[in-house]
Amino acid sequence: MTPLVINWSHVWMVTGLGFCMVILLLVVLIFILKLLGIVVSSAVKAPKAAAPKAAVSAPATVAAPQASSGADDDLAAIAMALHLYFNGVHDVEPTEIHIKRVERSGWTSKLYGMNNLHR
Amino acid sequence: MGDILEFFEQMGFMNMTLQQGIMLLLSFFLLFLAIKKQYEPLLLLPIAFGMLLTNLPGAGMYHSELWTAFLDANSPAYHSYGTIMREGGLLDILYIGVKAGVYPCLIFMGVGAMTDFGPLIANPKSLLLGAAAQLGIFLTFLAANAMGFTEAQAGSIGIIGGADGPTSIFLTSKLAPELLGPIAIAAYSYMALVPVIQPPIMRALTTKKERAIKMSQLRPVSKTEKIIFPIAITTIVALILPDAAPLIGCLMLGNLAKECGVVERLSKTMQNELMNIVVIFLGLTVGATATASSFLDWSTIKILVMGIVAFGCGTAGGILLAKLMNVFSKEKINPLIGSAGVSAVPMAARVSQQVGQEENPSNFLLMHAMGPNVAGVIGSAVAAGILLTMLG
Repeated sequence: MTPLVINWSHVWMVTGLGFCMVILLLVVLIFILKLLGIVVSSAVKAPKAAAPKAAVSAPATVAAPQASSGADDDLAAIAMALHLYFNGVHDVEPTEIHIKRVERSGWTSKLYGMNNLHR
Repeated sequence: MGDILEFFEQMGFMNMTLQQGIMLLLSFFLLFLAIKKQYEPLLLLPIAFGMLLTNLPGAGMYHSELWTAFLDANSPAYHSYGTIMREGGLLDILYIGVKAGVYPCLIFMGVGAMTDFGPLIANPKSLLLGAAAQLGIFLTFLAANAMGFTEAQAGSIGIIGGADGPTSIFLTSKLAPELLGPIAIAAYSYMALVPVIQPPIMRALTTKKERAIKMSQLRPVSKTEKIIFPIAITTIVALILPDAAPLIGCLMLGNLAKECGVVERLSKTMQNELMNIVVIFLGLTVGATATASSFLDWSTIKILVMGIVAFGCGTAGGILLAKLMNVFSKEKINPLIGSAGVSAVPMAARVSQQVGQEENPSNFLLMHAMGPNVAGVIGSAVAAGILLTMLG
């Protein structure tokens, strides 16, 4: 078996250039992401900035909805409800309301007894 | 009597070699790790079972000699999928998906559909940590060359440091298909061992004070940004580095399907059915390449050793860059999140969270670590594209 001849200059070139290219490409992506953030946030702010001009009497110190903790709680509750609904996490319950026709079982015996009291 | 003798002669027991016996025992051990220890069971189980099937003497489910002929320019079966379909076994036919680079890309599609790039968009600097963690790939490439591997093989070994199974398989199937079995097993084994490998390196390279750094909350990311992100990344990366387009393109297609909200059925299919089917095929066929003749070799031991070196160097690269960034940046970042740049989503990010909480129980690094973590996926795909361009 002939020993493998290593072209070290090429190996070093691949190592150095390859790693630098990874860094360089991802740095380019950083700038693009920052630019994207600026463009999108300015597009979102533009209609908000126009609103106070129309409503002159609006107070200047109104806090943004997302800044208040109450709004955060609301958002969390809505998010949890949506999560439960879309992912089917919530228990599947029968939508039928039993008032009179109750089957006797370990779970319904109490209810059955209460119904009997009304008679 | 002759028929009975012939039957006995055809039994696998009569034809088993010592190497095949060792491989069967190894497959049993990997099955044990997958089932009992739950080390990446979703992949390790089919890989181990593929290894079991391929080393059963006489079963003829996988023929490594067909694939050797497939790569031999002087053979009539050179690049002939027809020959494989005609003469191959079940695993040969399924292996076409690996050989053609289809399975890793489909898995990336599922990964994209399951990944939230929000932390990365909120903190784009995370991409730097993801890039620095690719240091392990290139240092291991250097070391593998020194250990006598060819450049193409060294590139395939180095990519283990990306801690990204599909990327490792994609690159190895293109550059050094003869090493696919050991490299895939090393990559997935070490990914499962991230909670064991990374913490000592993280503690050694950081001080208590650094590990306790609290980071400010990430800004909210709008839906528009999340939709534009995959389109922009695909366009830019594919235009700069066309060889990375299959991996990045599929990753971002999956993510776009998730984020746009109008193709929920496709998104769910990518995340579940498609992903699971491909994982089964990929695991089985990659395990099937681990035949006794290709696996029981000194090169396998070397690959396993260099794989862990690659992981260690990648982890160190991310942490050291995070420390360097702290020197120049006003807003301090916890260097522990740098280690998550080695991909291994989301295990590496969880490790950052755990090590951080050991120092400061009120510190929540998980979302901050997810930024470098998903950046590592992009980084390793880019590194694979670069290696493919330079060595392919």
